[in-house]
Amino acid sequence: MECRNRLLFISKVFDGLHCATTSTRIWVVMLITVLVCNGCTALKEAQQRREQRILEERNASSLMLRPSNPTIKIKEPDALYATSDHYTLTFAEDLYEHPELDSIEERETFVRSALGYMESLYDAMNRLFGFQPKHKIHVTLHDLYQGTRLAATTTTNYRYGFQNGRYLKFVNGIKMDFPLAMYEKHGVRAHELTHAFTNIYFLPVWFSEGIAVLIQTEYAQGGTHPKFDSLKGTYLRVDLDGVNQLENWGGHLDGGPLTQWRYRYSYTLVSELRERYGNDFYIKVFELMEADALHQRLEGKMRTSFLVYYLSKAAGEDLVPFFQELQFKVRKLTKEDILKQIEEMNSQIRRQP
Amino acid sequence: MSWKLNRNWVCKYVLLGMFCFYWGCTLGQKWSENYALLPGASATDPAFIDANPETIGQSQRKQGSGSVGTDLDIPSEAIIYLPERKSIYRIVIHSTNLEEFEVHAFNSRGEWDKIYDRRSNRDLIIDIRLKKVIMTSGIKVVVRRTTDDAARKRENIQLRRENVQTSDGNIRRGRYRYFITGPTTALANIAEIELYGYATASP
Repeated sequence: MECRNRLLFISKVFDGLHCATTSTRIWVVMLITVLVCNGCTALKEAQQRREQRILEERNASSLMLRPSNPTIKIKEPDALYATSDHYTLTFAEDLYEHPELDSIEERETFVRSALGYMESLYDAMNRLFGFQPKHKIHVTLHDLYQGTRLAATTTTNYRYGFQNGRYLKFVNGIKMDFPLAMYEKHGVRAHELTHAFTNIYFLPVWFSEGIAVLIQTEYAQGGTHPKFDSLKGTYLRVDLDGVNQLENWGGHLDGGPLTQWRYRYSYTLVSELRERYGNDFYIKVFELMEADALHQRLEGKMRTSFLVYYLSKAAGEDLVPFFQELQFKVRKLTKEDILKQIEEMNSQIRRQP
Repeated sequence: MSWKLNRNWVCKYVLLGMFCFYWGCTLGQKWSENYALLPGASATDPAFIDANPETIGQSQRKQGSGSVGTDLDIPSEAIIYLPERKSIYRIVIHSTNLEEFEVHAFNSRGEWDKIYDRRSNRDLIIDIRLKKVIMTSGIKVVVRRTTDDAARKRENIQLRRENVQTSDGNIRRGRYRYFITGPTTALANIAEIELYGYATASP
C-alpha cells in the first residue's frame, strides 16, 4: 500500500513537471543530476576506502622491506670484512673455503646483498619498535657455529659501573653469530635482530624470546614455533617448586623438548597479551621503560615482577593475578618498591670498601 | 579536375592514416617507468627493487608447520608491493637459477590470482609480456623449481645407517634410512624484478 502511494507521488511529480514552467523543470533536472553525482561520489569514496583498507591489511600482514641505500665499505683486498651504517660483517675462518664464498667477487656480491638486506630490516624494526640500539651490530657468519648449523645467537654485552653514587648498567656491544644455513632463513634474521633491539632493556629471557618469536612468526612469516591453543591446563609446565618453567629459563641451552616448549609457550603468552591490549601494546611497554630508565639501575637481569609492573601500566589494569594464575612467582610492585630496592642496593655498594 | 582533387584528398587521408598507425605503434612500444622503483614500493628482499643488478636477493619460504618433513613441498616466494594499483603489462625478472615458476597478482579482494606460469626457463633475464593488462598493487613470484635444487637435495637428504645402542652399551648396526636434514629445494636468486605498463596507460 505504502509502495503504491510512493509511486503515485512520483507520478504526480512528473505530471507536475509536465505542467511546470521551463525554469522549474531545469531546477528539478539539476537537483536530480546533483543527487546522482553525489551518489557516484559516495560510491567512489566507499571504493577508495575499501582499497585503502585492503592495502593496509596487506602491508600489516607481512614483513616487507624498502631499499635502504646504505654506505657499505668492503675491506680490501680479500673482502672478508665489511661495514655499513649499523653493522659490521665478518666471515669466520671456516667459510674461507666454502664453495659459494671462496672468491673475492662472490664475497663482495654476498656482502652488498646481505648488508643491504640487514639495513632495510633494521629500518623496518626501527619503524616497528620506535627505538634502536646505539651501538653497531657485529655480525659474524660461520659455516658451523658451536658445532652446529642450526643455532644462531645474539649476544648483548653489558658493562656495570658505579657513577655519581649510582649503580648503572650499560650496553657495551651487540654481537650476532649465524651459521650460513641459518642466515638464509629470513625469519631467523628477524628473530635475532629483535633481540638486538629489545635486549637493551635487559629483559627476562622468556619475554625476550617470546617477542622475538612473535616478530618472526606474525610479522616476518617465518616462524617455526607454533602457538599453543591455551596457556592453561595440559599446556602449562611447572618445575618442582610449582613455578612456571618459563621463569627460570636462562637461554637457548639445547633443542630439547623443554626448550621447544619454552619457545612456544612464551610466544603464546606474549601473543595473548598483544591480542588483548592491541598491536601497539609492547611499543607502550618499551616507551614506559625508556621514560623511567629504571631497567638500567637494577642489578642483574630484569625480574618478571618488574616487567609485570610495566605490562600492567601499559594495559591499564593489574596483570599480577593473570601471571599468578599461570604459576609465575610474581608480586605487585609499585614504583616506590622499585626505587627502594635500587636505593638499598646502591647504599650496600657505597658501604663496600 | 574533381577526380584529381579526390585523388589528392585520398592520398592525404592515406598518409594521415599511416602516420596515425605508425604513431600508435610507436606509442604501444613505449614502456612506463619501472613501477617497482616507485617511492613506497616494498619487497620481501630489498635487493629485488634497488635498481642495482649487483645485489642479489633470495625468495623466501612461506611459514610452514616447523617440521622439515611436512614442509618439503612448500614453495618459496618473492613478493613486491606497490604503493598504489598500477596497470602492468610487462614483468622482467633477473635471476640466475629460476627454472619453473608462477607469477601471481594481488587483486582488489585482497587475494592472489595466477597470471602467468613457466615450466622450463633457461633465460637469465626473463621478459614476460602479459596477454592482458593487469591492474594490481602487488606481484608475487612463486618458485616451483630452481637449477640449484638437485645440489640442495644431495646436501640435505642423506642415506645413513640407523644404528641402535644395545642395553650392554654396544652399538648394533641398523638398516639404511634416508635422513632429511634441511630443505630439499633451493631459494631463487633474484637480482631485480621490474614491472612496467604502457607509458600512456592510466593510472
